[in-house]
Amino acid sequence: MNQEKPMTVPSTRKDLMIVNMGPHHPSMHGVLRLIVTLDGEDVIDCEPILGYLHRGMEKIAENRTIIQYLPYVTRWDYLATMFTEAITVNAPEQLSNIQVPKRASYIRVIMLELSRIASHLLWLGPFMADIGAQTPFFYIFRERELIYDLFEAATGMRMMHNFFRIGGVAADLPHGWIDKCLDFCDYFLTGIAEYQKLITRNPIFLERVEGVGIIGGEEAINWGLSGPMLRASGIQWDLRKVDHYECYDEFDWEVQWQKEGDSLARYLVRISEMTESIKIIQQALEGIPGGPYENLEIRRFDRVKDTVWNEFDYRFISKKPSPTFELSKQELYARVEAPKGELGIFLIGDKGVFPWRYKIRPPGFINLQILPQLVKRMKLADIMTILGSIDIIMGEVDR
Amino acid sequence: MQGNLSAWLVKHALIHRSLGFDYQGIETLLIKPEDWHSIAVILYVYGYNYLRSQCAYDVALGGLLASVYHLTRIEYGVDQPEEVCIKVFAPRRDPRIPSVFWVWKSVDFQERESYDMLGISYDNHPRLKRILMPESWIGWPLRKDYITPNFYEIQDAH
Repeated sequence: MNQEKPMTVPSTRKDLMIVNMGPHHPSMHGVLRLIVTLDGEDVIDCEPILGYLHRGMEKIAENRTIIQYLPYVTRWDYLATMFTEAITVNAPEQLSNIQVPKRASYIRVIMLELSRIASHLLWLGPFMADIGAQTPFFYIFRERELIYDLFEAATGMRMMHNFFRIGGVAADLPHGWIDKCLDFCDYFLTGIAEYQKLITRNPIFLERVEGVGIIGGEEAINWGLSGPMLRASGIQWDLRKVDHYECYDEFDWEVQWQKEGDSLARYLVRISEMTESIKIIQQALEGIPGGPYENLEIRRFDRVKDTVWNEFDYRFISKKPSPTFELSKQELYARVEAPKGELGIFLIGDKGVFPWRYKIRPPGFINLQILPQLVKRMKLADIMTILGSIDIIMGEVDR
Repeated sequence: MQGNLSAWLVKHALIHRSLGFDYQGIETLLIKPEDWHSIAVILYVYGYNYLRSQCAYDVALGGLLASVYHLTRIEYGVDQPEEVCIKVFAPRRDPRIPSVFWVWKSVDFQERESYDMLGISYDNHPRLKRILMPESWIGWPLRKDYITPNFYEIQDAH
């Protein structure tokens, strides 16, 4: 008797097509190679191949002192450079119990939040460009140039600032910077309103982005995602609130999160994070205290116990902490909430100036793992939407 | 000095060794490679559902290789989440550690990177190949005794 064949999805061709979306492509994610197995227009599998930008950052770190390594770290995530510097400097500070003065902490928070806005802006541009809307790409550079000008006035460099130091920042803010920054905040709120008007309720955008690349909350935790990807799936996990680092507790701000877990939710989380960052910057600028911008009393005589800072018997060498800042023989996992996720450093000190092991936990690397799972059963055009919404940058994926 | 997790594991008669606390006060446990996959499931059931980072390093020149896992419990509305750091030591000659990909999927690329950089092979990992170096590379770059091929430094004559 004839058995009924089980009902299968009709495939258009007998053999599957393997397409290479090669390392060169006109998108600003970087050199990422995707080998995509297609059945017509449906994606069966996708394999990312990394390593085209591997520069051996971790091996180099084993032979550099912290102050020598600071120029390297901005090259991991070259769009949100303050975070990489912050984590490089936070790890030895936590290892050696160095207090950062209040003013330096406020300056750091302002720089970090400006860098977060810059990174989200430069995420938005290529994301829209991949979907097909070229205009926001130019708009974001207009705002990003203003942030570059602010950074250049304070640090001397537009992008690869070498600004953070162990114990504070390298130099104080110039005169008039705070007023310029407040002007920028006011202007930027109108800029975000412009983006909202142009993009968020645009029906073509919503068609492309809604319901594409859905991750559930439990799955997101299991895959180790962090940052806006985790918050867009309903988990309210923000390291700025959880870890209470720097002085984020003194400001009044909320964790932005969404429930759906699709690309639209990730977009909304990032846009609202930009608004929250402006709120934090405005509060920080209003309340910035005076005082020193760097803790110069870091280099102390070794093996001196029980001295409290500012007491009469506190013994210190009053020089900036370079180049012979010693890392004690301890290990530490320090982390910050970078715009792309959780950026962490696992630092094993050796009793000397060079670390024994310097492991960088890049958010883009971990967030990229979920790409093959998300693109299954999606159309070919959705790959770029999903890849864009994951927000990776190859500088930190490959290191 | 034993932390809470170590005491709980001892109560359930699971073999491990407590390495004390790291500098921030996070408990560190040392687990043998043979026990690791069962203890990983037990830790997942205990509540550690978020594997933050997995890395590997060599403990001493010519000594063992260590694979380090940082686990956290993500819960709603928690102020100081519980964290633990697990280390698994493997011999340098034939380093094999069971993969925990089937427990926490976030070690997929990270174990591949530890394999690529230090040579620790993870059993039962679905696709253990080199990730950052080219596929045809020989050698384990992040080991302390790694010599870069074809790298000659200019040295003075005397």
